[in-house]
Amino acid sequence: MNDARTGATATSTRPRPAGAAAVAHLFTLAALLAWWGYSRIVPDYQLPGPWPVLRRIGSFLTDSNELTQLGLSLLHVCAAMAIAFVVGCVLAALAHYIRPLRLLIEGRLTPFLNAFSGIGWLFLAILWFGLNDVTVIFAVTLILLPFTIINVGAGLQELDRDLLELGHSLTRNPIRRTLKIVVPLLTPYLFAALRTSFGVSWKVVLTAELFGGNGGVGYLLNVARQEFDTETIFAIIAFILMFVVVAEVVFFRPIQRRLDRRFARG
Amino acid sequence: MAERNGAVLQRLIADGGVVAAVVLWWATARHLPDFVLPGPAAVLAAMTRFVTDPAIAVHAAVSFGRVVASVAIAMVLALAMAAAVRSAPILEDVVERRILTFLNSFPSVGWAILGVIWFKISTPTVLFIQTAIVLPFCIVNALAGFRQIDPDLDELGHSLTRSPMRRFFKLTLPLAAPFLIAGLRVAYGICWKIALVSELFGASSGLGYLLMRAETTSDAAMVFACCLIIVALYGVTDYLFLRPLAARYSVNQDQSA
Repeated sequence: MNDARTGATATSTRPRPAGAAAVAHLFTLAALLAWWGYSRIVPDYQLPGPWPVLRRIGSFLTDSNELTQLGLSLLHVCAAMAIAFVVGCVLAALAHYIRPLRLLIEGRLTPFLNAFSGIGWLFLAILWFGLNDVTVIFAVTLILLPFTIINVGAGLQELDRDLLELGHSLTRNPIRRTLKIVVPLLTPYLFAALRTSFGVSWKVVLTAELFGGNGGVGYLLNVARQEFDTETIFAIIAFILMFVVVAEVVFFRPIQRRLDRRFARG
Repeated sequence: MAERNGAVLQRLIADGGVVAAVVLWWATARHLPDFVLPGPAAVLAAMTRFVTDPAIAVHAAVSFGRVVASVAIAMVLALAMAAAVRSAPILEDVVERRILTFLNSFPSVGWAILGVIWFKISTPTVLFIQTAIVLPFCIVNALAGFRQIDPDLDELGHSLTRSPMRRFFKLTLPLAAPFLIAGLRVAYGICWKIALVSELFGASSGLGYLLMRAETTSDAAMVFACCLIIVALYGVTDYLFLRPLAARYSVNQDQSA
Protein backbone atom coordinates (compact mmCIF):
# COMPACT_ATOMS: atom_id res chain seq x y z
CA MET A 1 0.00 0.00 0.00
CA ASN A 2 2.60 2.51 1.07
CA ASP A 3 4.65 2.06 -2.08
CA ALA A 4 5.11 5.71 -2.73
CA ARG A 5 4.68 7.07 0.73
CA THR A 6 8.02 6.34 2.25
CA GLY A 7 9.35 9.77 1.41
CA ALA A 8 6.78 11.40 3.64
CA THR A 9 7.82 9.54 6.76
CA ALA A 10 11.54 9.86 6.31
CA THR A 11 12.05 13.21 7.97
CA SER A 12 12.27 13.33 11.70
CA THR A 13 12.32 16.19 14.15
CA ARG A 14 14.55 14.52 16.70
CA PRO A 15 17.68 16.35 17.76
CA ARG A 16 20.73 15.11 15.92
CA PRO A 17 23.75 13.83 17.82
CA ALA A 18 26.37 16.49 18.43
CA GLY A 19 29.25 16.39 15.99
CA ALA A 20 27.27 14.59 13.33
CA ALA A 21 27.33 17.64 11.08
CA ALA A 22 31.10 17.93 11.42
CA VAL A 23 31.56 14.25 10.57
CA ALA A 24 29.32 14.73 7.54
CA HIS A 25 31.41 17.66 6.31
CA LEU A 26 34.56 15.61 6.82
CA PHE A 27 32.97 12.84 4.80
CA THR A 28 32.21 15.24 1.94
CA LEU A 29 35.78 16.45 2.00
CA ALA A 30 37.14 12.91 2.04
CA ALA A 31 34.90 11.93 -0.86
CA LEU A 32 36.07 14.91 -2.92
CA LEU A 33 39.69 14.11 -2.09
CA ALA A 34 39.20 10.49 -3.07
CA TRP A 35 37.65 11.61 -6.35
CA TRP A 36 40.56 13.95 -7.03
CA GLY A 37 43.14 11.33 -6.11
CA TYR A 38 41.58 8.60 -8.19
CA SER A 39 41.05 10.89 -11.15
CA ARG A 40 44.81 11.42 -11.28
CA ILE A 41 45.43 7.71 -11.69
CA VAL A 42 42.85 6.81 -14.34
CA PRO A 43 42.54 8.38 -17.81
CA ASP A 44 40.40 11.48 -18.24
CA TYR A 45 37.71 9.86 -20.33
CA GLN A 46 37.00 7.50 -17.42
CA LEU A 47 37.03 9.93 -14.55
CA PRO A 48 37.76 13.63 -14.95
CA GLY A 49 38.90 15.44 -11.81
CA PRO A 50 36.72 17.81 -9.75
CA TRP A 51 38.36 20.93 -11.12
CA PRO A 52 37.72 20.38 -14.87
CA VAL A 53 34.17 19.32 -14.03
CA LEU A 54 33.61 22.51 -12.06
CA ARG A 55 35.00 24.55 -14.97
CA ARG A 56 32.68 22.72 -17.33
CA ILE A 57 29.70 23.55 -15.08
CA GLY A 58 30.78 27.18 -15.23
CA SER A 59 30.85 27.17 -19.02
CA PHE A 60 27.52 25.32 -18.97
CA LEU A 61 25.94 28.17 -17.05
CA THR A 62 27.26 30.86 -19.37
CA ASP A 63 26.41 29.16 -22.66
CA SER A 64 23.00 30.40 -23.77
CA ASN A 65 22.26 27.32 -25.88
CA GLU A 66 22.96 24.95 -23.02
CA LEU A 67 20.94 27.10 -20.64
CA THR A 68 18.03 26.90 -23.06
CA GLN A 69 18.25 23.11 -22.96
CA LEU A 70 18.18 23.26 -19.18
CA GLY A 71 15.07 25.41 -19.29
CA LEU A 72 13.51 22.93 -21.67
CA SER A 73 14.16 20.09 -19.21
CA LEU A 74 12.67 22.16 -16.42
CA LEU A 75 9.63 22.76 -18.59
CA HIS A 76 9.28 19.03 -19.25
CA VAL A 77 9.47 18.27 -15.54
CA CYS A 78 6.97 20.97 -14.55
CA ALA A 79 4.50 20.03 -17.26
CA ALA A 80 4.64 16.34 -16.40
CA MET A 81 4.33 17.05 -12.67
CA ALA A 82 1.36 19.34 -13.18
CA ILE A 83 -0.51 16.94 -15.46
CA ALA A 84 0.23 13.93 -13.26
CA PHE A 85 -0.84 15.87 -10.16
CA VAL A 86 -4.18 16.97 -11.59
CA VAL A 87 -5.02 13.63 -13.19
CA GLY A 88 -3.85 11.74 -10.09
CA CYS A 89 -5.97 13.87 -7.76
CA VAL A 90 -9.02 13.45 -9.98
CA LEU A 91 -8.58 9.68 -10.17
CA ALA A 92 -7.99 9.35 -6.43
CA ALA A 93 -11.03 11.52 -5.68
CA LEU A 94 -13.19 9.51 -8.09
CA ALA A 95 -12.11 6.29 -6.41
CA HIS A 96 -12.85 7.72 -2.99
CA TYR A 97 -16.16 9.44 -3.57
CA ILE A 98 -17.79 7.29 -6.26
CA ARG A 99 -17.77 3.89 -4.66
CA PRO A 100 -18.64 1.79 -7.72
CA LEU A 101 -15.51 3.07 -9.46
CA ARG A 102 -13.21 2.25 -6.55
CA LEU A 103 -12.18 -1.24 -7.55
CA LEU A 104 -11.65 -0.18 -11.17
CA ILE A 105 -9.27 2.59 -10.16
CA GLU A 106 -7.64 1.15 -7.04
CA GLY A 107 -7.72 -2.51 -7.99
CA ARG A 108 -7.11 -2.39 -11.74
CA LEU A 109 -5.80 0.90 -13.05
CA THR A 110 -3.35 1.85 -10.29
CA PRO A 111 -1.65 -1.56 -10.03
CA PHE A 112 -1.38 -1.64 -13.81
CA LEU A 113 0.19 1.81 -13.97
CA ASN A 114 2.35 0.97 -10.99
CA ALA A 115 3.69 -2.17 -12.62
CA PHE A 116 4.13 -0.70 -16.09
CA SER A 117 7.74 -0.05 -16.95
CA GLY A 118 8.79 3.56 -17.40
CA ILE A 119 11.04 2.49 -20.26
CA GLY A 120 7.99 0.83 -21.81
CA TRP A 121 5.99 4.07 -21.74
CA LEU A 122 8.93 5.86 -23.24
CA PHE A 123 9.28 3.49 -26.17
CA LEU A 124 5.54 3.42 -26.80
CA ALA A 125 5.52 7.20 -26.76
CA ILE A 126 8.36 7.27 -29.30
CA LEU A 127 6.33 5.00 -31.58
CA TRP A 128 3.23 7.14 -31.17
CA PHE A 129 4.52 10.69 -31.10
CA GLY A 130 8.03 10.55 -32.53
CA LEU A 131 11.03 12.28 -31.00
CA ASN A 132 9.70 15.47 -29.42
CA ASP A 133 8.53 17.20 -26.26
CA VAL A 134 5.18 15.38 -26.20
CA THR A 135 6.96 12.02 -25.95
CA VAL A 136 9.07 13.18 -23.02
CA ILE A 137 6.17 14.75 -21.13
CA PHE A 138 3.89 11.78 -21.80
CA ALA A 139 6.43 9.24 -20.56
CA VAL A 140 7.32 11.19 -17.42
CA THR A 141 3.64 11.89 -16.64
CA LEU A 142 2.72 8.23 -16.81
CA ILE A 143 5.63 7.29 -14.58
CA LEU A 144 4.54 9.88 -11.99
CA LEU A 145 0.84 9.09 -12.12
CA PRO A 146 0.76 6.02 -9.82
CA PHE A 147 2.81 7.84 -7.17
CA THR A 148 0.27 10.66 -7.14
CA ILE A 149 -2.78 8.39 -7.07
CA ILE A 150 -1.35 6.31 -4.23
CA ASN A 151 -0.31 9.33 -2.14
CA VAL A 152 -3.55 11.25 -2.56
CA GLY A 153 -5.59 8.08 -2.13
CA ALA A 154 -3.79 7.35 1.13
CA GLY A 155 -4.53 10.89 2.29
CA LEU A 156 -8.23 10.55 1.52
CA GLN A 157 -8.26 7.23 3.34
CA GLU A 158 -6.72 8.73 6.47
CA LEU A 159 -8.98 11.78 6.66
CA ASP A 160 -10.09 12.31 10.22
CA ARG A 161 -13.71 11.12 10.34
CA ASP A 162 -14.53 13.22 13.40
CA LEU A 163 -13.42 16.40 11.71
CA LEU A 164 -15.48 15.57 8.63
CA GLU A 165 -18.49 15.02 10.82
CA LEU A 166 -17.86 18.29 12.55
CA GLY A 167 -17.79 19.91 9.11
CA HIS A 168 -21.15 18.38 8.28
CA SER A 169 -22.66 19.92 11.35
CA LEU A 170 -21.14 23.32 10.62
CA THR A 171 -22.05 23.85 6.99
CA ARG A 172 -24.16 22.20 4.33
CA ASN A 173 -22.17 23.56 1.48
CA PRO A 174 -20.00 20.70 0.13
CA ILE A 175 -17.63 23.04 -1.73
CA ARG A 176 -17.00 24.97 1.44
CA ARG A 177 -16.42 21.73 3.34
CA THR A 178 -13.97 20.54 0.69
CA LEU A 179 -12.00 23.76 0.63
CA LYS A 180 -11.99 24.38 4.37
CA ILE A 181 -11.58 20.86 5.72
CA VAL A 182 -10.64 18.22 3.15
CA VAL A 183 -7.97 20.16 1.26
CA PRO A 184 -6.19 21.44 4.39
CA LEU A 185 -6.25 17.95 5.89
CA LEU A 186 -4.87 16.53 2.66
CA THR A 187 -2.04 19.06 2.41
CA PRO A 188 0.70 16.79 3.82
CA TYR A 189 -0.23 14.06 1.35
CA LEU A 190 -0.51 16.41 -1.60
CA PHE A 191 2.86 17.79 -0.64
CA ALA A 192 4.36 14.31 -0.30
CA ALA A 193 2.98 13.50 -3.75
CA LEU A 194 4.63 16.58 -5.24
CA ARG A 195 7.90 15.96 -3.42
CA THR A 196 8.09 12.35 -4.59
CA SER A 197 7.13 13.43 -8.11
CA PHE A 198 9.87 16.02 -8.19
CA GLY A 199 12.53 13.52 -7.18
CA VAL A 200 11.36 10.81 -9.53
CA SER A 201 10.82 13.13 -12.48
CA TRP A 202 14.39 14.44 -12.43
CA LYS A 203 15.61 10.88 -12.30
CA VAL A 204 13.65 9.82 -15.35
CA VAL A 205 13.36 12.97 -17.44
CA LEU A 206 16.96 12.63 -18.58
CA THR A 207 16.30 9.07 -19.73
CA ALA A 208 13.21 10.21 -21.58
CA GLU A 209 15.06 13.07 -23.26
CA LEU A 210 18.02 10.88 -24.08
CA PHE A 211 15.95 8.40 -26.03
CA GLY A 212 12.85 10.28 -27.02
CA GLY A 213 13.63 13.97 -27.03
CA ASN A 214 15.03 16.45 -29.46
CA GLY A 215 16.08 18.82 -26.70
CA GLY A 216 16.78 19.14 -23.02
CA VAL A 217 19.66 18.16 -20.81
CA GLY A 218 19.16 14.47 -21.61
CA TYR A 219 19.78 15.30 -25.25
CA LEU A 220 23.05 17.04 -24.35
CA LEU A 221 23.94 13.97 -22.31
CA ASN A 222 23.39 11.76 -25.33
CA VAL A 223 25.66 13.90 -27.51
CA ALA A 224 28.35 13.87 -24.80
CA ARG A 225 28.01 10.11 -24.44
CA GLN A 226 28.55 9.51 -28.13
CA GLU A 227 31.65 11.70 -28.10
CA PHE A 228 32.99 10.11 -24.91
CA ASP A 229 32.98 13.61 -23.44
CA THR A 230 33.03 12.41 -19.84
CA GLU A 231 33.70 15.92 -18.53
CA THR A 232 30.35 17.11 -19.87
CA ILE A 233 28.60 13.98 -18.59
CA PHE A 234 29.98 14.64 -15.11
CA ALA A 235 29.15 18.31 -15.32
CA ILE A 236 25.54 17.57 -16.26
CA ILE A 237 25.14 14.96 -13.52
CA ALA A 238 26.77 17.21 -10.93
CA PHE A 239 24.58 20.09 -12.01
CA ILE A 240 21.39 18.04 -11.74
CA LEU A 241 22.53 16.77 -8.34
CA MET A 242 23.05 20.31 -7.08
CA PHE A 243 19.80 21.50 -8.56
CA VAL A 244 17.77 18.75 -6.91
CA VAL A 245 19.58 19.14 -3.58
CA VAL A 246 19.12 22.91 -3.57
CA ALA A 247 15.43 22.58 -4.42
CA GLU A 248 15.13 20.04 -1.62
CA VAL A 249 16.94 22.19 0.93
CA VAL A 250 15.52 25.63 0.17
CA PHE A 251 12.05 24.59 -0.91
CA PHE A 252 10.79 21.15 0.09
CA ARG A 253 12.46 20.62 3.44
CA PRO A 254 11.35 23.88 5.12
CA ILE A 255 7.79 23.33 3.93
CA GLN A 256 7.90 19.74 5.15
CA ARG A 257 9.08 20.93 8.53
CA ARG A 258 6.25 23.41 8.78
CA LEU A 259 3.74 20.78 7.75
CA ASP A 260 5.17 18.30 10.25
CA ARG A 261 4.73 20.83 13.00
CA ARG A 262 1.23 21.79 11.98
CA PHE A 263 -0.05 18.31 11.39
CA ALA A 264 1.74 16.48 14.17
CA ARG A 265 -0.71 14.21 15.91
CA GLY A 266 -0.54 13.61 19.62
CA MET B 1 -27.47 -6.68 1.38
CA ALA B 2 -26.75 -3.20 0.08
CA GLU B 3 -23.10 -3.76 0.99
CA ARG B 4 -23.06 -6.94 -1.08
CA ASN B 5 -24.71 -5.27 -4.03
CA GLY B 6 -22.14 -2.51 -3.83
CA ALA B 7 -19.29 -5.01 -3.94
CA VAL B 8 -20.82 -6.83 -6.92
CA LEU B 9 -21.32 -3.54 -8.74
CA GLN B 10 -17.70 -2.57 -8.06
CA ARG B 11 -16.46 -5.86 -9.46
CA LEU B 12 -18.71 -5.53 -12.47
CA ILE B 13 -17.47 -2.03 -13.24
CA ALA B 14 -13.85 -2.97 -12.61
CA ASP B 15 -13.82 -6.04 -14.82
CA GLY B 16 -16.14 -4.39 -17.34
CA GLY B 17 -13.73 -1.48 -17.49
CA VAL B 18 -10.84 -3.79 -18.28
CA VAL B 19 -12.85 -5.52 -21.02
CA ALA B 20 -13.96 -2.15 -22.41
CA ALA B 21 -10.35 -0.98 -22.51
CA VAL B 22 -9.28 -4.08 -24.46
CA VAL B 23 -12.22 -3.69 -26.88
CA LEU B 24 -11.37 -0.03 -27.36
CA TRP B 25 -7.77 -0.99 -28.02
CA TRP B 26 -8.86 -3.59 -30.58
CA ALA B 27 -11.21 -1.15 -32.31
CA THR B 28 -8.57 1.61 -32.46
CA ALA B 29 -5.84 -0.75 -33.64
CA ARG B 30 -7.94 -1.92 -36.60
CA HIS B 31 -7.62 1.45 -38.27
CA LEU B 32 -3.98 2.01 -37.47
CA PRO B 33 -0.87 0.46 -39.00
CA ASP B 34 0.80 -2.28 -37.00
CA PHE B 35 3.94 -0.30 -36.22
CA VAL B 36 1.87 2.37 -34.47
CA LEU B 37 -0.63 0.31 -32.54
CA PRO B 38 -0.72 -3.45 -32.93
CA GLY B 39 -3.98 -5.16 -32.01
CA PRO B 40 -4.44 -7.30 -28.90
CA ALA B 41 -4.14 -10.49 -30.98
CA ALA B 42 -0.75 -9.53 -32.42
CA VAL B 43 0.53 -8.57 -28.97
CA LEU B 44 -0.75 -11.79 -27.48
CA ALA B 45 1.04 -13.70 -30.23
CA ALA B 46 4.25 -11.85 -29.40
CA MET B 47 3.73 -12.60 -25.72
CA THR B 48 3.32 -16.33 -26.32
CA ARG B 49 6.77 -16.26 -27.88
CA PHE B 50 8.06 -15.66 -24.35
CA VAL B 51 6.77 -19.13 -23.53
CA THR B 52 7.40 -20.98 -26.77
CA ASP B 53 10.65 -19.45 -28.01
CA PRO B 54 13.55 -20.27 -25.67
CA ALA B 55 15.74 -17.58 -27.28
CA ILE B 56 13.24 -14.96 -26.12
CA ALA B 57 12.28 -16.57 -22.83
CA VAL B 58 15.91 -16.46 -21.79
CA HIS B 59 15.88 -12.64 -21.97
CA ALA B 60 13.04 -12.49 -19.45
CA ALA B 61 14.82 -14.96 -17.16
CA VAL B 62 18.08 -13.01 -17.36
CA SER B 63 16.32 -9.74 -16.48
CA PHE B 64 14.52 -11.38 -13.60
CA GLY B 65 17.73 -12.79 -12.17
CA ARG B 66 19.46 -9.43 -12.45
CA VAL B 67 16.60 -7.58 -10.77
CA VAL B 68 16.49 -9.99 -7.85
CA ALA B 69 20.27 -9.92 -7.45
CA SER B 70 20.51 -6.13 -7.49
CA VAL B 71 17.65 -5.65 -5.05
CA ALA B 72 19.31 -8.16 -2.72
CA ILE B 73 22.68 -6.41 -2.97
CA ALA B 74 21.08 -3.00 -2.40
CA MET B 75 19.15 -4.23 0.62
CA VAL B 76 22.27 -5.72 2.22
CA LEU B 77 24.20 -2.48 1.65
CA ALA B 78 21.32 -0.44 3.07
CA LEU B 79 21.11 -2.71 6.12
CA ALA B 80 24.83 -2.33 6.70
CA MET B 81 24.55 1.46 6.56
CA ALA B 82 21.51 1.57 8.82
CA ALA B 83 23.20 -0.76 11.29
CA ALA B 84 26.28 1.45 11.25
CA VAL B 85 24.14 4.50 12.02
CA ARG B 86 22.44 2.61 14.80
CA SER B 87 25.64 1.60 16.51
CA ALA B 88 27.37 4.94 15.86
CA PRO B 89 24.75 7.71 15.77
CA ILE B 90 27.41 10.21 14.86
CA LEU B 91 27.32 8.79 11.35
CA GLU B 92 23.68 9.75 10.97
CA ASP B 93 24.35 12.87 8.95
CA VAL B 94 26.89 11.10 6.76
CA VAL B 95 24.36 8.48 5.71
CA GLU B 96 21.21 10.54 5.70
CA ARG B 97 22.40 13.92 4.52
CA ARG B 98 25.30 12.91 2.29
CA ILE B 99 25.06 9.39 0.92
CA LEU B 100 21.26 9.31 0.77
CA THR B 101 20.92 12.79 -0.68
CA PHE B 102 23.58 12.04 -3.25
CA LEU B 103 22.05 8.76 -4.38
CA ASN B 104 18.54 10.16 -4.26
CA SER B 105 19.33 13.03 -6.58
CA PHE B 106 21.51 11.11 -9.02
CA PRO B 107 19.77 10.74 -12.38
CA SER B 108 19.34 7.06 -13.23
CA VAL B 109 20.57 7.44 -16.77
CA GLY B 110 23.75 8.97 -15.35
CA TRP B 111 24.56 5.70 -13.62
CA ALA B 112 23.81 3.84 -16.82
CA ILE B 113 26.19 5.95 -18.91
CA LEU B 114 28.95 5.97 -16.29
CA GLY B 115 28.54 2.24 -15.65
CA VAL B 116 29.17 1.50 -19.30
CA ILE B 117 32.14 3.88 -19.48
CA TRP B 118 33.71 2.38 -16.38
CA PHE B 119 33.03 -1.35 -16.71
CA LYS B 120 32.20 -2.16 -20.34
CA ILE B 121 29.05 -4.04 -21.34
CA SER B 122 28.43 -6.97 -19.03
CA THR B 123 26.15 -8.37 -16.35
CA PRO B 124 28.17 -6.89 -13.44
CA THR B 125 27.70 -3.48 -15.09
CA VAL B 126 23.95 -3.99 -15.12
CA LEU B 127 24.03 -5.08 -11.49
CA PHE B 128 26.06 -2.00 -10.57
CA ILE B 129 23.66 0.35 -12.34
CA GLN B 130 20.53 -1.25 -10.91
CA THR B 131 21.93 -1.42 -7.39
CA ALA B 132 22.92 2.25 -7.54
CA ILE B 133 19.42 3.20 -8.67
CA VAL B 134 17.44 1.25 -6.06
CA LEU B 135 19.86 1.77 -3.15
CA PRO B 136 18.36 5.09 -1.90
CA PHE B 137 14.90 3.54 -1.62
CA CYS B 138 16.34 0.73 0.50
CA ILE B 139 18.31 3.15 2.70
CA VAL B 140 15.27 5.32 3.44
CA ASN B 141 13.32 2.32 4.64
CA ALA B 142 16.15 0.66 6.53
CA LEU B 143 16.83 3.91 8.42
CA ALA B 144 13.15 4.41 9.18
CA GLY B 145 12.80 0.79 10.26
CA PHE B 146 15.73 0.88 12.66
CA ARG B 147 14.66 4.25 14.00
CA GLN B 148 11.16 3.26 15.06
CA ILE B 149 12.33 0.27 17.11
CA ASP B 150 10.84 0.47 20.59
CA PRO B 151 13.67 1.52 22.97
CA ASP B 152 12.16 -0.58 25.76
CA LEU B 153 12.35 -3.73 23.66
CA ASP B 154 15.89 -2.82 22.73
CA GLU B 155 16.75 -2.53 26.40
CA LEU B 156 15.10 -5.85 27.08
CA GLY B 157 17.31 -7.37 24.40
CA HIS B 158 20.36 -5.91 26.08
CA SER B 159 19.43 -7.55 29.36
CA LEU B 160 18.78 -10.91 27.71
CA THR B 161 21.92 -11.39 25.69
CA ARG B 162 25.29 -9.80 25.29
CA SER B 163 25.89 -11.02 21.76
CA PRO B 164 25.28 -8.12 19.39
CA MET B 165 24.85 -10.51 16.44
CA ARG B 166 22.13 -12.36 18.27
CA ARG B 167 20.38 -9.15 19.20
CA PHE B 168 20.58 -7.96 15.62
CA PHE B 169 19.07 -11.09 14.12
CA LYS B 170 16.55 -11.90 16.85
CA LEU B 171 15.38 -8.44 17.77
CA THR B 172 16.45 -5.60 15.49
CA LEU B 173 15.77 -7.29 12.19
CA PRO B 174 12.29 -8.66 13.03
CA LEU B 175 11.24 -5.35 14.58
CA ALA B 176 12.36 -3.43 11.52
CA ALA B 177 10.89 -6.03 9.16
CA PRO B 178 7.70 -4.14 8.14
CA PHE B 179 9.78 -1.22 6.92
CA LEU B 180 12.38 -3.41 5.29
CA ILE B 181 9.75 -5.32 3.39
CA ALA B 182 8.05 -2.11 2.31
CA GLY B 183 11.46 -0.98 1.08
CA LEU B 184 11.98 -4.28 -0.69
CA ARG B 185 8.69 -3.89 -2.53
CA VAL B 186 9.44 -0.33 -3.58
CA ALA B 187 12.95 -1.24 -4.69
CA TYR B 188 11.74 -4.27 -6.59
CA GLY B 189 9.14 -2.17 -8.40
CA ILE B 190 11.60 0.62 -9.20
CA CYS B 191 14.09 -1.91 -10.45
CA TRP B 192 11.65 -3.31 -12.99
CA LYS B 193 10.28 0.05 -13.99
CA ILE B 194 13.22 2.40 -14.12
CA ALA B 195 16.40 0.45 -13.57
CA LEU B 196 15.75 -1.53 -16.72
CA VAL B 197 17.42 1.41 -18.42
CA SER B 198 20.66 -0.33 -17.46
CA GLU B 199 19.94 -3.03 -20.01
CA LEU B 200 19.41 -0.49 -22.77
CA PHE B 201 23.07 0.49 -22.54
CA GLY B 202 24.90 -2.05 -20.51
CA ALA B 203 23.83 -5.43 -21.81
CA SER B 204 23.31 -7.55 -24.86
CA SER B 205 20.62 -9.63 -23.18
CA GLY B 206 17.56 -9.08 -21.02
CA LEU B 207 14.18 -7.44 -21.51
CA GLY B 208 15.68 -3.96 -21.81
CA TYR B 209 17.86 -5.15 -24.68
CA LEU B 210 14.87 -6.85 -26.27
CA LEU B 211 12.83 -3.64 -25.98
CA MET B 212 15.62 -1.67 -27.59
CA ARG B 213 15.92 -4.15 -30.44
CA ALA B 214 12.16 -4.17 -31.01
CA GLU B 215 12.17 -0.39 -31.02
CA THR B 216 14.89 -0.11 -33.65
CA THR B 217 13.12 -2.61 -35.91
CA SER B 218 9.76 -0.86 -35.34
CA ASP B 219 8.35 -4.12 -34.00
CA ALA B 220 5.59 -2.46 -31.96
CA ALA B 221 3.95 -5.77 -31.05
CA MET B 222 7.18 -6.84 -29.37
CA VAL B 223 7.49 -3.51 -27.50
CA PHE B 224 3.96 -4.01 -26.17
CA ALA B 225 4.67 -7.62 -25.34
CA CYS B 226 7.82 -6.71 -23.40
CA CYS B 227 5.89 -4.09 -21.41
CA LEU B 228 3.12 -6.51 -20.59
CA ILE B 229 5.55 -9.28 -19.69
CA ILE B 230 7.17 -6.87 -17.24
CA VAL B 231 3.77 -6.03 -15.76
CA ALA B 232 3.02 -9.75 -15.48
CA LEU B 233 6.38 -10.68 -13.95
CA TYR B 234 6.18 -7.84 -11.46
CA GLY B 235 2.53 -8.46 -10.64
CA VAL B 236 2.89 -12.21 -10.14
CA THR B 237 6.01 -12.02 -7.99
CA ASP B 238 4.60 -9.17 -5.94
CA TYR B 239 1.36 -11.04 -5.40
CA LEU B 240 2.96 -14.41 -4.65
CA PHE B 241 5.96 -13.38 -2.55
CA LEU B 242 6.18 -9.78 -1.48
CA ARG B 243 2.57 -9.13 -0.56
CA PRO B 244 2.21 -12.21 1.70
CA LEU B 245 5.54 -11.29 3.25
CA ALA B 246 4.32 -7.76 3.90
CA ALA B 247 1.04 -9.02 5.33
CA ARG B 248 2.91 -11.35 7.64
CA TYR B 249 5.03 -8.61 9.13
CA SER B 250 2.49 -5.81 8.86
CA VAL B 251 2.40 -3.28 11.68
CA ASN B 252 -1.38 -3.25 11.61
CA GLN B 253 -1.71 -7.00 11.69
CA ASP B 254 -4.59 -7.03 14.15
CA GLN B 255 -6.52 -4.44 12.13
CA SER B 256 -6.18 -5.95 8.71
CA ALA B 257 -6.55 -9.57 9.74
